[in-house]
Amino acid sequence: MAATKTMSTPTVRPHPFLNSVRRFIFNPRWLSVIILLIAWQVLAISRNTRVIPRLERIYTELIKILFTGLFVEDLAASMGRIGLGFAIALAVGTAVGILMGSRRAWEEFFMDLVLFGLALPGLIYALVSVMLFGLSILAPVVAIVATAYPFIAINIREGVRAINKDLLDMGRAYRVSRSNVVRRIVLPSLLPFFLAAIRIGFSIAWKVTTLVEVFGTTNGIGWEIRASFDTFSVHGMLAWTLLFSAVMLAIEYGILLPAERYFGRWRPKAGQVI
Amino acid sequence: MDVATESAMTEIQPARLSQPATFMKRIVLSYRWLALIIILVIWQAVTILVDIGLLPSPGQVILAGWGLLTSGLFFKELAASLVRILLGFGTAMVVGLIVGVSMGSRRFWDEFFEIPVIVGLSLPGLIYAMMAVMILGLGLTTPVIAILLAAYPFVAVNIREGVKATDKELVDMARVYLVDRWRMITKVILPGLLPFIMAAIRVGFTIAWKVAVLTEVFGASTGIGYQLRYNFQLFSMRTMIAWALLFGAVMLVIEYGLLAPAEKYFARWRPKVKEII
Amino acid sequence: MTTIAVSVRDLVKSFGDEGGEHRVLDGITFDVEEGTLTTIVGPSGCGKSTLLNVLAGLESYTAGSVEVRSGEGTAADLGYVFQNPRLLPWLTIKDNIMFVRPQNVAETTHRQRMQHYLDMVGLNGIGHKYPYQLSGGMQQRAGLARGLSVEPAVLLMDEPFSHLDEITAEQMRAELLRIWQETGRTIIFITHDMQEAIQLGDRLLMLGYEGKIVEDIPINLPRPREFTDQSFVDFYADVVSRFHKLQAARAEELAEVEVN
Repeated sequence: MAATKTMSTPTVRPHPFLNSVRRFIFNPRWLSVIILLIAWQVLAISRNTRVIPRLERIYTELIKILFTGLFVEDLAASMGRIGLGFAIALAVGTAVGILMGSRRAWEEFFMDLVLFGLALPGLIYALVSVMLFGLSILAPVVAIVATAYPFIAINIREGVRAINKDLLDMGRAYRVSRSNVVRRIVLPSLLPFFLAAIRIGFSIAWKVTTLVEVFGTTNGIGWEIRASFDTFSVHGMLAWTLLFSAVMLAIEYGILLPAERYFGRWRPKAGQVI
Repeated sequence: MDVATESAMTEIQPARLSQPATFMKRIVLSYRWLALIIILVIWQAVTILVDIGLLPSPGQVILAGWGLLTSGLFFKELAASLVRILLGFGTAMVVGLIVGVSMGSRRFWDEFFEIPVIVGLSLPGLIYAMMAVMILGLGLTTPVIAILLAAYPFVAVNIREGVKATDKELVDMARVYLVDRWRMITKVILPGLLPFIMAAIRVGFTIAWKVAVLTEVFGASTGIGYQLRYNFQLFSMRTMIAWALLFGAVMLVIEYGLLAPAEKYFARWRPKVKEII
Repeated sequence: MTTIAVSVRDLVKSFGDEGGEHRVLDGITFDVEEGTLTTIVGPSGCGKSTLLNVLAGLESYTAGSVEVRSGEGTAADLGYVFQNPRLLPWLTIKDNIMFVRPQNVAETTHRQRMQHYLDMVGLNGIGHKYPYQLSGGMQQRAGLARGLSVEPAVLLMDEPFSHLDEITAEQMRAELLRIWQETGRTIIFITHDMQEAIQLGDRLLMLGYEGKIVEDIPINLPRPREFTDQSFVDFYADVVSRFHKLQAARAEELAEVEVN
């Protein structure tokens, strides 16, 4: 779209630029956001209560957090926890998933643990971890691993199951070396599932980290959210949430999802779980 | 019968449970118990050998849980939570259905709701819970609104897929035979939608109870979440874990004992059902 | 005196606007006598299916008229047998047929008809099964029974046997002829298979590339028609040669367009 241009009163003659601007504004996608913002603002002004802040208040808070470096500080602290926990969860989940996918015995062994883990909310793991490990790094890490590994495991398990036996047999028939079989047949087949597991695992990791930080840390995004809650600062919570979600969504939809799609483009239908 | 087939059969495990005896045998001798036993043993060992602060032993947790059950406190709090869960879940289903159907039928609505749905899908339930408590206070509206906002996108997305998947060929067939509108909806469109509705119910319910508990943690004086927070603040680990496990068990039973079989049942006319847990 | 069951006059269906008009059907005119089996053939993309969809009311048309006359012994205007059986997978065969009961027909009456036609197509006794439990041929028979049970003024059939293996298709053709002779229904049958068209039809309409009817050939061969009969072979050769002329003319046209 070109730079902003002051719009004169619309003429009857169809103007290509104005048309595209008009279409942009009335694009249904933005319509919902615009309506929401207007409704919020109306509510904020009419109720005039602290817990429904006006849009400007939220905006100024956003700017403050960003430009005082506060956001980056807390983001770094949170990302550290997320990264560590996610990495370990990925390792554990992948191992369990591979085992479950290969042998019936392992599947039975882990099945209940996985089902149970899928069902229990991150909240439980967060609370228990904080109580057990206090302020140490173990709290978020254990919570993330416990919550995320089942999702990773079932995705990897599906990937292992989906390995095409026909292709493996073909490799054997042509006496292909073991390393080549793994490199050229097994790994590429697993890759889309692995990437799906990464995306889902990451999504869970940051949500659980936030929970842990709400209940038992002294810095990080979750801690800021808790602080906002304790002071009834709705503008604060919204500002922190919006900024943090923006970053996380950028990672999920900007990096992880495209990677998953790209490496899965040879497949007729993406088969990730959830 | 082929000799080759016979000998090949020995490796394959029987796919169907033919008799009650076999069924019981499979349950008892399965590896699943092994996992449970190992976990309990490790847990007990850890409590004895290492001092991780407040970790209670399995025995203490079981005792605490037993107390909760026999005193009836568990059921009282469970009931309080279930009311909130069901109300929120119901609202989320209604809104999600409306949004999902519109998104699946008309392009305009699909684009209109796109951003609210994506944002709704991504925000953690925690935020909805805390915001609802801050803005709406301690009443019943808090969990209901929080659940509504957190769950409706998941319901909508599933319903949308269902509507989009409506078999146009079948609809055309019904049109040729001049089938009336009611029959069209109930016999052609809805049955095709049912598997998706069941999936939406499962996802919606899962989110509903998780968000409900979160709202109770931050703003309630009854319910499971409240008990979790209460015991957390008192550092009363064994009771807190007991609450968590008991509640988790109830939810598990509902999800895997009720909803999952229901989902299978409604998809039974499909020759091949791909199970995703 | 012959009764006309279907009357099509100057039927036009066009797409596009602002100078880029494409006529899929251009001035189609024909009558179908009651009780006859009319086959329509033509190259792919010539509008055969569009014509049938317009007759069925599934698609609109730009100009002209389509009339279907419901005489005695008809309960509905149309029955339609599709290429894919299009049975509702969540209903049994019987429920599938009950599903299309016309508004003005009582349930018991329709049920009787259903039973009658299920017997006629040889599906007696499997009415309680679900579509996925039946083979392709049986599913198509169910679709045929469905179309017959509404006792339509005209039964439209859109390449109903093209997805079946040749042996089953042959059986189905023979059965269709038998059923047709038994019921006396008016049938319009679309196919890309010239041989099938000649074997089945009283009359063959050939659609051309321009959306017009280019040939209207009555088929007077006595039934049963065997492909090995000399008369059949001659007739077939004649029709095929006319079709080839059509294709040649088309190729010339396209070549001219390219040169220009």
